[in-house]
Amino acid sequence: MYNPKIIIDLIADNVRKTRNPFGIPKSMLNRWWRDTPVRPEGDTLLFTGLMYQFTPYIEKTTHYLERYEDTKLADYMGYSKYIPKFIAGTGLALMTSGKEKKNADSVLRNIVNILAKSNVEFFYKPELDDYSGILLYDLGDQEGFVRHAKFVAAKLKRAGVRKLITVDPHTTYALKVLFPKYTGESFDVKTYFELVSFKSENGGSRVTLHDPCFYGRYLEMSDVPRKVLANLGIECVEVINSEHATNCCGGPAESVSPKLSKEVLDRRVEELQSTGEPIIALCPICLGNLKKSGAQVEDLSTLIARSM
Amino acid sequence: MTLINPEFAEELERFGVSTALDCFNCGTCTAICPLIYEHFPRKMIRYIQVGARELLLENDNELWRCLHCGLCTYTCPREADPGELILGLKRFVVANWRRS
Ligand code: SF4
Ligand code: SF4
Repeated sequence: MYNPKIIIDLIADNVRKTRNPFGIPKSMLNRWWRDTPVRPEGDTLLFTGLMYQFTPYIEKTTHYLERYEDTKLADYMGYSKYIPKFIAGTGLALMTSGKEKKNADSVLRNIVNILAKSNVEFFYKPELDDYSGILLYDLGDQEGFVRHAKFVAAKLKRAGVRKLITVDPHTTYALKVLFPKYTGESFDVKTYFELVSFKSENGGSRVTLHDPCFYGRYLEMSDVPRKVLANLGIECVEVINSEHATNCCGGPAESVSPKLSKEVLDRRVEELQSTGEPIIALCPICLGNLKKSGAQVEDLSTLIARSM
Repeated sequence: MTLINPEFAEELERFGVSTALDCFNCGTCTAICPLIYEHFPRKMIRYIQVGARELLLENDNELWRCLHCGLCTYTCPREADPGELILGLKRFVVANWRRS
């Protein structure tokens, strides 16, 4: 286990300096929209919260943290301090493979296509798309979270944005529940799959959904993706621990203890694989983590886009 | 010697820790917690109840094992909100580090 204080201080410092936990300039991180036709002005903003864009970097950092966790090297001369610092910033951006970055970008492009097919009017402005700060909240850096969240909320307010479309459970929870509570600003927040309005018979397959903790328990919206899939002719084969009772994939422990995260992951994967059906993730952290286990898994947006 | 601080529960209220005294130590949260780690999170809640401030601070790193998955909160028969208690304890510890 890494010393949480070192990890928290590093993440808090990165968020302060670059407004994201990895310390990577946003211009390097958020590039998916460049060759995607999206309107630059409008009423409802697509707000990715940058979480999908982080996945290749999470994978890279966890790879290194995993390698050195609890080793003599990590303990020696404060190496445990040095390692997390080394895997941040532009150095991390350069170490991360282009293929993984493209995979993450394709999820966002699919979401744009899904919204277009559902006749949803929305716009995208990269300047207004910021990280929500949720990791700081989860790690207990309340002061850092509130400071960052207020910055994000004020920027949206200044731009006159009140309606947001989100793409992941962590950002959705932050905007729906935490922002009103801690920044005093409320937004009308919808997740992209709540807006899917088309039906299709193309599906014809069976899948097992891995409900993320935030959608399943905190936001109680597990029924929505199931309805979307049913409308596409796709059957969900359930595991016992699903919806409200879903089991965590272990992703949130990645930065502090990759070992612990893997233990939790292995148990969850075994459970999900018991149905024999491909696994569907609804969250970039779950998706990356489940992929790491070697399981057959894809993002909900990939499945919807394929069934359109 | 373990010091007991009767004002500990009160001190924690500032960090959103307000339901610790509702817990009657049944252990449901520990049984369901995916960490399967000692008596987590029940043990941490016990520290609050008995005012074991120092003991908690000695073992504070353990708090960051918690995934904030909410399964314990969902199953707690006393609505003691164990998941949020752990998050509140993290806030307390972080504020403590920053002060020192
Ligand atoms: S927090 Fe709830 S589930 Fe856990 S020991 Fe206390 S009463 Fe039982
Ligand atoms: S919120 Fe934390 S303590 Fe509660 S079940 Fe999840 S990991 Fe365990």
